[in-house]
Amino acid sequence: MVFALSKWEVLLQQGVNGLILGSFYALVALGYSMVYGIIKLLNFAHGDIYMTGAFVCLSVFGVLSGVLPGWAGIACSIVAAMIFSAVLGWLAQRFAYRPLLGAPRLSLLITAIGVSLVIYNTVMAITNSQPLFFTSGLDNAAGIKIGGITVTYIQLILLSVAACVMIGLTLFIGSTRTGKAMRAIALDQDTCRLMGINVNKVIGLTFLLGSALAALAGGLACVYYGNVQYNMGYTIGIKAFTAAVIGGIGSIPGAMLGGLLLGLLEAVGTQLLDSSWKDVFAFGLLILILILRPNGLLGKSEIERM
Amino acid sequence: MKLLDKAFRLLGSKGARYGVPAALLLAMTALPFFLDDYALHVLWNAMFYALLALGLNVIVGYCGLCDLGYAAKFAIGAYTTGILMKSFGWNFWLTLPMSILVAVITAVIIGAPTLKLRSDYLAIVTLGFAEIVRITARNLPITGSASGLNAIARPSLFGLRLTKISHWYYVFLVLVVIFVFISNRLRHSRFGRALAYIREDEDAAQAMGVDTTRYKLYAYMIGAVLGGVTGSFFAVTMTSISPGSFDFTQSANILLAVILGGMGKIPGVIAGAAFFAIFPEIFRDVPIVGNMRMLFFGLLLIVVMITRPQGFWPERKRG
Amino acid sequence: MALMQITDLTMRFSGIVAVERLTFDIEEGSITSLIGPNGAGKTSAFNCMTGFYKASSGEILFDGKSLIGLKPYKITRLGIVRTFQNVRLFKNLTVLENVMSGAHSVTRQSVFGALLRTPAQRREERGIRENAEYLLDYVGILNKKDELAKNLSYGDQRRAEWARALAAKPRLLLLDEPAAGLNREEKDRLIELIHKFRADFGVTVFLIDHDMDLVMKVSEKVIVINFGTKIAEGTPAQVQSDPLVVEAYLGVSEEEGGAL
Repeated sequence: MVFALSKWEVLLQQGVNGLILGSFYALVALGYSMVYGIIKLLNFAHGDIYMTGAFVCLSVFGVLSGVLPGWAGIACSIVAAMIFSAVLGWLAQRFAYRPLLGAPRLSLLITAIGVSLVIYNTVMAITNSQPLFFTSGLDNAAGIKIGGITVTYIQLILLSVAACVMIGLTLFIGSTRTGKAMRAIALDQDTCRLMGINVNKVIGLTFLLGSALAALAGGLACVYYGNVQYNMGYTIGIKAFTAAVIGGIGSIPGAMLGGLLLGLLEAVGTQLLDSSWKDVFAFGLLILILILRPNGLLGKSEIERM
Repeated sequence: MKLLDKAFRLLGSKGARYGVPAALLLAMTALPFFLDDYALHVLWNAMFYALLALGLNVIVGYCGLCDLGYAAKFAIGAYTTGILMKSFGWNFWLTLPMSILVAVITAVIIGAPTLKLRSDYLAIVTLGFAEIVRITARNLPITGSASGLNAIARPSLFGLRLTKISHWYYVFLVLVVIFVFISNRLRHSRFGRALAYIREDEDAAQAMGVDTTRYKLYAYMIGAVLGGVTGSFFAVTMTSISPGSFDFTQSANILLAVILGGMGKIPGVIAGAAFFAIFPEIFRDVPIVGNMRMLFFGLLLIVVMITRPQGFWPERKRG
Repeated sequence: MALMQITDLTMRFSGIVAVERLTFDIEEGSITSLIGPNGAGKTSAFNCMTGFYKASSGEILFDGKSLIGLKPYKITRLGIVRTFQNVRLFKNLTVLENVMSGAHSVTRQSVFGALLRTPAQRREERGIRENAEYLLDYVGILNKKDELAKNLSYGDQRRAEWARALAAKPRLLLLDEPAAGLNREEKDRLIELIHKFRADFGVTVFLIDHDMDLVMKVSEKVIVINFGTKIAEGTPAQVQSDPLVVEAYLGVSEEEGGAL
């Protein structure tokens, strides 16, 4: 850095970075929230789906970049990652979770940990525990300067993709038949069955959607950060869950809000504190939110039970 | 599976109920006279895992709560002892009550607010808290940062300085006996039954007059204390501790031991822990299996949950 | 003074009024029933009385003491013990352990007693066990005490649940649809049993059900609700001839009223 930035400019720059981080959290948090809302499962493997998305994106781009360089290739790679992860998430749902839907919640949670271990260790074995690097061939520094703040084109594209997807999802949940079925199942599964809704199909669809969103975040993160490692899903998994809880678990707008908020807080918090403490900050926030406002910012309370 | 059940039923007959543990204990007492230090170390490690698994069993097996950060409990015990000995020159045995106290305090801080909520929130909070503990240990000077605490002094017992692995072998054997005793007494009491009622059906437990929030907190506290004490002994046996020993893999291993062994069943939990300690030793030189073992455990976990959620140890028939 | 007095009990959730200004008394030593068609608010009222739901407004007095805001376990400790509509035993525990759970609210030993196994603790344990065995014998399934609850037949599970409730030494026994899933013969036996509970243990019994037949035979007082409000109260004979009740409930043929 040649320019001496004022304290406010540094903070604003961190705000932009926080927004990016926040959109990753939000995209992953959406999957957590949707799945939790519909089958009350804390899908422990969701962070690993994100990680898988990043890997598939990187691998596909490695093949594609010769033919389709730049954004076209990246877009195709991300779509491929989304499809792959969606199928992976659906398979986990179909073969690991569905047989246990009537079982105690603890069994379901433990199964999700099993799924997480399987994905995590498979990728670890394939990559031999080494990080992989992503070279997009794009100019990472190019961007718009406003005052002392730089917003790169990559950041702009990333933010707009995230925004479009979130708006699309909101419309989908709010106005389509399937979206309505999802909300209905979250309220009362048995009644939905009686009303002739194919509950299993809708649950499957929720996993498809949630996993695709996580993979989108993974693919974007791969482009943005330029490296991918088998353990990248673990921390973001906990943080995205934190974001979902902050927003109110089960609430779609809540997950988005929570994600963005956590990203911003973390980026600004890192500026004020030492960066080695940033995870402590995020998890401390989680515990604090659970104590002070367990239903989150936008979450509805359940029937008041003593 | 049927055959397995039959074999176990034979083991469960009345004479075997006391005979088998007594014979096992006798064999364990005699073993140091026949084994080399390496083998003793492997067995010591198995007992170490058994202690952790027995501690976590109170939380997961007895009460049905999900703790994904059990490594933090023993990290807290280990660091309490390590810091008090290194920075303040305390005698090891005096650090034990402090270790218990710190365990109780942290359990209340984490448990009291979260145990009132949906119980799966505890899973994520314990996970987050474990990360906080690990990162804090890595960042603070008093915990020795990333390199941890080294050269923690070996304590003495009745004038004997505990320096050899065979010494620690016996110390841990005694600890296992104590932990089993505690687990067993808890299980067969009004308190232990109340935990089982909560695990089976929280609403019905409330309806029978169980203060579910309070009992969950007690279970969580007892689990934390057992973990903390184990951590304290770990610190003086290894003489060095570092944040790397307390990561999520460690927590996951302990949880796996409890679940695969059969939640709530003492022999099953010990067998599970022994399996997790000894299995990597057997396969350490086999290249592919060594790396893929967690993959294998993950698959096993899914299959077990779907086909045999009570774990490999058989159902208890008598009350 | 009545054993339980409910005054203007109202229960609302997310805009829907489940119970509205419900008022009635349960006399000590009586068998009282609350009936109504499905969705009339019986279960909501029942859950408010046992602390599982929080009443929106109104008062519930038990022996002169307010139950509003008390958690279910505290209500149980006061001597109000419930059963569940679909029988909720602790499935993976033995029948004996299930019944022993009833004693939880009337015994004291905790962690230290368990670890030290003091003489007082041992005495208490023996008492809990003997009483549980006595009650299992009383309901006629002592021979099944070591079986896991989930392996019992439905009828035996109901018996185990009664024994469990009685082990809590209730003053007021609340039965949530006790006749659900029983055939005519079993219902007749249930009626006898409810009378026997009262005679042998001195309990007051309150039950909710939509089975007219059972309710009319067993109860001394019946409260009828529909759409959350009380429409009639009195002896079975009085209630049965009430035009409002006939319209709301009996007007529908009995099979339909009983179904769902």
